[in-house]
Amino acid sequence: MSSVPASAFLALALILFCIGLYGALTKRNTVIVLISIELMLNAVNINLVTFSKYGMAPSITGQVFALFAMAVAAAEAAVGLAILMSLYRNKKTVNIDEMDQMKH
Amino acid sequence: MMENAWLIPLFPLLSFLILLLIGKRLREASAYVGILLTLASLVFSILVLFERFTEPTYITKFDWLTIGDLHLTAGFEVNQLNALMLFIVSLVSFLVHTYSKGYMHGDERFPVFYAYLGLFTFAMLGLVISPNLLQTYIFWELVGVGSFLLIGFYFYKEEAKAAAKKAFIMTRIGDVGLFIGMILIFWQTKSFEYSEIFRAVEAGAVSQTMITLTAILIFIGAVGKSGQFPLHTWLPDAMEGPTPVSALIHAATMVAAGVYLVAALFPLFQASQTALLTVATIGAFTAIFAASIGLVQTDIKRVLAYSTVSQLGYMMLALGSAGYVAGVFHLMTHAFFKALLFLAAGSVIHAVHTQNIEEMGGLWKKLKFTGPLFLIGTLAISGVPGLSGFFSKDEILVAAWEGGHPVLFLLALIAAFFTAFYMFRLFFLVFTGEARGEQKHVHESPSLMTLPMLVLGVLAIIGGYVNTPWFGSFLGDWLVDGNEALGHGHIEGPAWIMIAATVVSLLGIYLAWLIYGKRSVARDWLSGAGGTLHTILLNKYYVDEFYQLIVVNFVKGFSYFLRFIDVFLVEGIVKGVAGFVQGLGITGSKMQNGQVQTYGAVAFIGLAVLAVIFALTGGYLK
Amino acid sequence: MNLSWVLTTLVFSPLLGIVVLAFMPKTQEKAIKFVGFLATLPALALALAAYAHYLAGKKLSDFTIGHEWIQFRGMSGDAPIFSVYYELGLSGFQLLLVVLTAVVATLAAIAARYVKKEWKGYFMLFLLLEVGMLGVFTAENLILFFIFFEITLIPTFFLIGKWGYFEKEKAAYSFLIYNGLGSAVLLIVIMILFAKTGTTNIDLLTKIMADPSAPLSGDLKLGLLISLLIAFGVKLPIFPLHSWMLKVHVQAPPSVVMIHSGILLKIGAYGLIRFGMGIFPAQFETLATLIAILGVINLLYGAFLAFIQSDFKMVLAYSSISHMGIVLIGLAAMNEAGIQGAIFQVVSHGLISALLFFLVGVLYERTDTSLIENLGGIAKGMPIAAGFLLAGAMASLGLPGMSGFVSEFMAFLGLFKELPWLAAVGTIGIIMTAAYLLRAVLGMTFGKAHREFIGFVDLKGVEFVPVVVLTALIVLIGVYPSVLSSPLQATLETIMLGLGG
Repeated sequence: MSSVPASAFLALALILFCIGLYGALTKRNTVIVLISIELMLNAVNINLVTFSKYGMAPSITGQVFALFAMAVAAAEAAVGLAILMSLYRNKKTVNIDEMDQMKH
Repeated sequence: MMENAWLIPLFPLLSFLILLLIGKRLREASAYVGILLTLASLVFSILVLFERFTEPTYITKFDWLTIGDLHLTAGFEVNQLNALMLFIVSLVSFLVHTYSKGYMHGDERFPVFYAYLGLFTFAMLGLVISPNLLQTYIFWELVGVGSFLLIGFYFYKEEAKAAAKKAFIMTRIGDVGLFIGMILIFWQTKSFEYSEIFRAVEAGAVSQTMITLTAILIFIGAVGKSGQFPLHTWLPDAMEGPTPVSALIHAATMVAAGVYLVAALFPLFQASQTALLTVATIGAFTAIFAASIGLVQTDIKRVLAYSTVSQLGYMMLALGSAGYVAGVFHLMTHAFFKALLFLAAGSVIHAVHTQNIEEMGGLWKKLKFTGPLFLIGTLAISGVPGLSGFFSKDEILVAAWEGGHPVLFLLALIAAFFTAFYMFRLFFLVFTGEARGEQKHVHESPSLMTLPMLVLGVLAIIGGYVNTPWFGSFLGDWLVDGNEALGHGHIEGPAWIMIAATVVSLLGIYLAWLIYGKRSVARDWLSGAGGTLHTILLNKYYVDEFYQLIVVNFVKGFSYFLRFIDVFLVEGIVKGVAGFVQGLGITGSKMQNGQVQTYGAVAFIGLAVLAVIFALTGGYLK
Repeated sequence: MNLSWVLTTLVFSPLLGIVVLAFMPKTQEKAIKFVGFLATLPALALALAAYAHYLAGKKLSDFTIGHEWIQFRGMSGDAPIFSVYYELGLSGFQLLLVVLTAVVATLAAIAARYVKKEWKGYFMLFLLLEVGMLGVFTAENLILFFIFFEITLIPTFFLIGKWGYFEKEKAAYSFLIYNGLGSAVLLIVIMILFAKTGTTNIDLLTKIMADPSAPLSGDLKLGLLISLLIAFGVKLPIFPLHSWMLKVHVQAPPSVVMIHSGILLKIGAYGLIRFGMGIFPAQFETLATLIAILGVINLLYGAFLAFIQSDFKMVLAYSSISHMGIVLIGLAAMNEAGIQGAIFQVVSHGLISALLFFLVGVLYERTDTSLIENLGGIAKGMPIAAGFLLAGAMASLGLPGMSGFVSEFMAFLGLFKELPWLAAVGTIGIIMTAAYLLRAVLGMTFGKAHREFIGFVDLKGVEFVPVVVLTALIVLIGVYPSVLSSPLQATLETIMLGLGG
């Protein structure tokens, strides 16, 4: 069907995941952190789809899982943003450095 | 009677226990308890001694301690030497008990004093009937404690405290020698029994090196107890104790225990020429060394103390020259005249309340009994013919000469000269001339004190006639009877030795008379001529200072060094470990900063590490 | 007659006291102290009865009790894979230690009259501690032993930390950490043994280990023995694991130090003899020289350091280190004399240090100090206390006629046979012991009084009980050592059999 090899998809997923991870771990702005997490989830989706096509036992299950993941990601983004909004109302900031409530 | 000899030490022990429990209520009546019980010991001792003249050695024992297959025994043995020692010890002890009733009168710890005397007498009597080395060692240490307690009797005096401590520790150094020697000989012969040891030695079951080594180690014990060089310094200091104690312990009995030990183990020593030579050399050296210090001391008791050290050296010389009889004989006569001298000195101190001879003088007329008795003792120790000391000293000189030690013989002869000189110096300074210090209310001591002195005075005169070249050597023959290994009862020596000894002692007396009696020679001609020498003598050759400098400071220094290790190294390692753990904890807790991103990073790093491990090892740590 | 109830009752009888105390109002000082004292008596009576039973010539194995206790079953089948039994028993050695424990505990309960606050809590912990100690010495099962071992730890921690002197918390923590680590090592050893052999019964283990086809390699055994040496070395203590013990000796209240120095340190020696030497005899032999060297180091190190201490409690603490060196020396000799000497030393030092620490308590109660230089000349005001102090010091420095000598003598007798040079070095310790003890004791009792001690009362009333009892026992052992040596013969034979001697 196509001459693009599976490793290319996986490499893309890897790069995407690393960008996401980097963003999630280093960015100050909570919105960007949430976006980075979405990137990581999407990297996972690419992997799922890739293996559903090129895996040892190709089947539709992988794509179904990707859809599930998207749905969950959407829900998670919604909840995440909601928490962020309420935090912002309380703290008047979206700077992640100041959000250390878990320590207390 | 001999089978009941074990009772002899128990009487004084009983006295000790009674006085410990109810002494406070008895007050000065405590003395009667002590006197009566030691009298019982004395009576038994005399009976045993007389029975021993006719009957063979009695020995009995029972198991004391079982170690696996080894059975260590305890018991008692009455042989010639032991019977003689029993008599000497119980006699002197009884006399001192009596004397102390007068001397210690008015002391608030009077019962305690008698209790301690009882303890000491018990230990000393126990020592001299021990049939084996272990038991000897046990009582050996106990007499040390008795001595320690009595030296420190005036415990509130700093000097007494220091002297007691010194006496205990210095004798303990010697005791460790005995301890090691005893254990080594045990593993060689599998027994502590004297008879077994001698049998093994005779049978050649023990190597020559081992015999020499153990004999010398045991001799170190004797050196400590008998105040031989180099462990002699405690004995003069021990004069801090009450004077009767000095007479009993530090003149007549305990310090002679070293001599007794060497005598009791004589066959072991005889098996090694090196050991004998060591004993003889140390003895002769101590004799002259202590005598030379005695020349210049000004404390009446210290002069006598150095004289004791010197005389004990004589006994060691005798034993080392294979003169078994001579050594034991001198031990006996010395016990009489030295106890007499100390008791007389006590009587003088009692009268004038000072120990400094420079503050005495002219006491001959005031102390009608003490003076002549002191003179008898002085004559006896100086070796004036006819008195006990003359015969025993002569025996020693003969033994040294015949033993083939001309140098040691010469040293002993010079020491005899010194002895005569310093004893008469003492006598002239104390009893003749004018009173130099303040002497108020000088009075003769009560008869309780003079009577024991009288008994000793008589013995100091006649005690020598049991073993003379003229009237036969009864004591010597009896002592070696049935045991030829100990040597002959009497050693024939050339007649000139006796003459030389007499001349030397008379010369010493004459010189002392010239300086201190007639005063035709100025007192300071010696100290003026050899100033440095005089200072050295006055400071006892700086041995104490040397020990202080080297030994004490070394021990202290080493202890502080160890403390340094304890505080810095041991504690340091502990602190280091604790610090490492704490650091680990602090690092860990820093990660818990509430930042989700840090948590994420840590989780990811952890995952990565696990992945790497998995990749490298395939899932298992090997 | 079935006597298997005796040991259980003996070990747990102090619990009765705890129950009674729990129902008492905590303000009744006198009543609490009296009940605390009474609660130690049943154990004492039973221990003495057991000794009498032995003296009557009957077997000590009459007391043995074994009961199913904990069992681990596999997924299938009914046979348990691992089972732990509740096993108590007595050998001659254990009997002596049990009697020693009971005696010292009773006397320490008397010494607890100086406790100033919260008597109720004090005595409840104290009695729990006694349960632990009695259990340790009677347990025939390693896991049971370990549980009792831990029971001794916790009450001691609180007793030190709450009722001690100025730096009590620090002392308590260093006690807990050191001993906790030690018991962790011990637990590992026990678990390895359990996993490899399937049993924790001590006698059974001894038999399995003696069998050459045992499922453990020689190296593993050596490793286990070294671990045991560390675990019990903390307790004993062996240099350089000793620093916790100094703090405890100085900071703990007198009655706890009596227990601690008298009994708890001895658990280390007991463990080394029973488990180290009993279970791994061959490996012990390879380590003998090392242990002898450690022993001599302990002996000299303690002695030299005791020589320069200014606090009498520190002198005694270092003296304990020094005396435990003698235990090691005796064990390292690996012959009857040495081992018997070590065991004697265990008992003897228990009595002597209990006596000395009681007297320290007496002095501290009256003078508020234990510094040597502050105390000089107390013999004037308190002659009896000073006399007993001197007697205790004499016993400690190994005066013949008292228990210290017999043990010291036998330990050295043993070592001189095997390693004469090392033993000769060790004898320096004998001299140093005399030096530091006399320096300290004479410094306190003799000499000029630094201040007026006239107003102080000498020993009186009930204070005489511990002092006289302990002194009497010390002298008894010194004069007639068979009281200890005859129960020990069977134990010794077993050990020597293990050593192949």
